[in-house]
Amino acid sequence: MTTPAPDTIIVGAGAAGLTLAARLAEAGEQVLVLEVGPQRSVKDMISSQIWARQLKWSGPPVEESGTHPVGHAFNAGAGTGGSAAHHYGVWLRLHPGDFSVASDHGKSLDWPISYRDVQPYYDRVQEQVGISGDSEAEIWRPPGSPYPMPPLPVFSQARVLARGFAATGRRTAPLPLAINSVPRHGRAACQYDGWCDAGCPIGALANPLVTSLPRALAAGVTIMHEAQALRILRDPNKPNRVTGVEYHHQGVPRQLMAQRVIVAAFTVQSTRLLLNSASEDRPAPGNQHDQLGRYLTTHPAGTVFGLFEQETLPHQGVSGGQLLCHDDYKDKASPGGFGSSQWMIANAIKPNDLLGYGTSRADISGKQLRPWLMKAARHLANMTLVTEDLSLPDNRITLSDSRDPAGMPLAHTHHDIADVSAQRWQQRIDEGLDIFRAAGATDVWHGPRVAMHIMGGTVMGRDDTLSVTDSFGRVHDTDNLYVSGPSLFPSSGAVNPTFTLTALAERQADHMLGLALAAAATPSPGDDPTL
Amino acid sequence: MPAGPNRREVLAAGGAALGWFLIGGSRVWATPADAASAGFSPQVLGKEQVQALASIGEALVPGATQAGLAAFVDNQLEAGSESKLMAKYVGVPVEQQTDFYRLSLDAVGLALQKNTADEVLAAMAADAVPGWNGPPASYVMFLLRADALDVVYGTQAGFAQLGIPYSAHILPEANW
Ligand SMILES: Cc1cc2nc3c(=O)[nH]c(=O)nc-3n(C[C@H](O)[C@H](O)[C@H](O)COP(=O)(O)OP(=O)(O)OC[C@H]3O[C@@H](n4cnc5c(N)ncnc54)[C@H](O)[C@@H]3O)c2cc1C
Ligand code: SF4
Repeated sequence: MTTPAPDTIIVGAGAAGLTLAARLAEAGEQVLVLEVGPQRSVKDMISSQIWARQLKWSGPPVEESGTHPVGHAFNAGAGTGGSAAHHYGVWLRLHPGDFSVASDHGKSLDWPISYRDVQPYYDRVQEQVGISGDSEAEIWRPPGSPYPMPPLPVFSQARVLARGFAATGRRTAPLPLAINSVPRHGRAACQYDGWCDAGCPIGALANPLVTSLPRALAAGVTIMHEAQALRILRDPNKPNRVTGVEYHHQGVPRQLMAQRVIVAAFTVQSTRLLLNSASEDRPAPGNQHDQLGRYLTTHPAGTVFGLFEQETLPHQGVSGGQLLCHDDYKDKASPGGFGSSQWMIANAIKPNDLLGYGTSRADISGKQLRPWLMKAARHLANMTLVTEDLSLPDNRITLSDSRDPAGMPLAHTHHDIADVSAQRWQQRIDEGLDIFRAAGATDVWHGPRVAMHIMGGTVMGRDDTLSVTDSFGRVHDTDNLYVSGPSLFPSSGAVNPTFTLTALAERQADHMLGLALAAAATPSPGDDPTL
Repeated sequence: MPAGPNRREVLAAGGAALGWFLIGGSRVWATPADAASAGFSPQVLGKEQVQALASIGEALVPGATQAGLAAFVDNQLEAGSESKLMAKYVGVPVEQQTDFYRLSLDAVGLALQKNTADEVLAAMAADAVPGWNGPPASYVMFLLRADALDVVYGTQAGFAQLGIPYSAHILPEANW
């Protein structure tokens, strides 16, 4: 059986890919999505930290090196919905200053667009997908329409920690979450059981299986699962055009042609696919100037823990947290390092697993363990730090000499952390410990520096000698090849990326459909005109 | 894949099972705890590796032996790319998991010949086990402790022991 040629092939059925698939198909295009992972539905979201691991990336391994490896195995997923199938729904906007780090500070890269270009798309996506939050209490929030749902409730863990923030002169606000605080658009309200890491089968959390996937399917999108894209096919006669995708399905390499190809396979795999599309006579798409794979970033992150006399009941709530503090976001150049940072406060937490409290104290075992766990189950609190990474050209995704069973070279990621970023991380962790003490913790500790989210590699930019795509994700030396996802981010900011990448995908869809939203955001009273 | 009921059929039947174990020469669909108590035959690990895992796991997380730690690890290693061991996302690629566990447990077994489990754990934590020939000992200890936490506390029974509600949206196939 031959598959008829679609208008657009999208590689990757995750957050970015399914957003674009829904938009293009709703506009009448024939869209086919190639997804390397298995077909999933919400019925696969089994409430268990052990079973949650089946949602992780189980494709070819990624070789990693550097002083702060990006942690692909933890940060990536596969199958319908991609990594986003079990993401935690913390949906924050980048701040205006995140778009001009190079101009403002001589570090990292500038984006080719400003906050004002993305704002209308943040607003649109926020209305479609639904975010719960309190835009007035969130005093640091960049301009935008108010959240369409009230914030999620605050439980005892968050109330205890808020005391520490107040005592140290810091402010908190409800964490904005793409999780229903009330039933909305046919999706249920959250039950505050903290199983988000295992996926939210009731549809309270805006994972693609309950947001963009139903729209895409209703509009006639075809998704081919267990189909691994191997190479982008180039037109031999027209150097600027791609003609389709070579992919591996049911043990056989195949080819599929289309008018347009969108690579949305998440940062490392998107870059790997482009790199593997070089030929003897032509560099890989977007790599005319040796920029492909560069400026790989990840958020240096960490968790602070503490025990309290007061009951905190940390199993209540959602995995992403309950409160937010952005007091340290705006001033990237403040003393002590470089970069913005945020706290996601009072994450719902389980006893086991990498992010559980049991694993946070490797020093407690044997007879001491059960009494300690029993105490922690009712009296532990925790919060998560996210800091900004610097975009550095030598932090790079390349191809390895080893190959996967389909014959495709593995990806290699090299990521070193800049001294100023490492210093900022340590500074904030030390402050976090102080906040816990101020909240009355009897014992405080913190986890290691870890890598959260993966960005860069196919960065967008105005100058095609210093970037891979334009601001719409169109690969510079091509007319009809696009990239979507966080690999486009020229700088990382210090907020979770999925709201931004979804807003960018909406902007890309408008561009592809000739609907470019010409109107930049209308300034609202109180906007900082210099933003 | 051995013939037998599929996962959904087991769930529909209300079974609290996890995987296939070789017990008394037959493949049986059972929880690791039941497999352990019925004397399962490991499919990936050697008998001595299983013994080392049980001893060190029990010293790390009391209750791990009864909860079936060795059966759990062996079964997940057999599952290959479907493995649900935490090692999967802390830098031990699934292709290398079996070798990682075999090497680690051989080193643990050797250390246990001369020392008590508690002494071995203290030395592992400090990466100071004399003659250790395996992946970094403190890393191995972290992962084995995490596996033991999984089987003892990452389950409905484990949550109940800690007095916290499990509140599943979809119940896992095993109590844990
Ligand atoms: C535990 C966890 C919690 C998170 N929480 C948050 C959060 O609270 N807020 C937030 O903003 N972000 C969060 N994230 C990050 C978020 O999941 C990602 O930023 C987002 O999913 C990236 O979207 P994407 O479309 O680029 O990639 P994905 O959603 O990962 O989709 C990419 C898809 O491409 C497929 N693919 C890869 N290679 C190929 C190939 N060669 N051929 C075919 N298909 C391929 C993959 O299998 C995958 O399905 C979290 C991530 C994890 C792991
Ligand atoms: S806590 Fe809420 S969002 Fe998370 S899995 Fe449960 S119902 Fe879903």
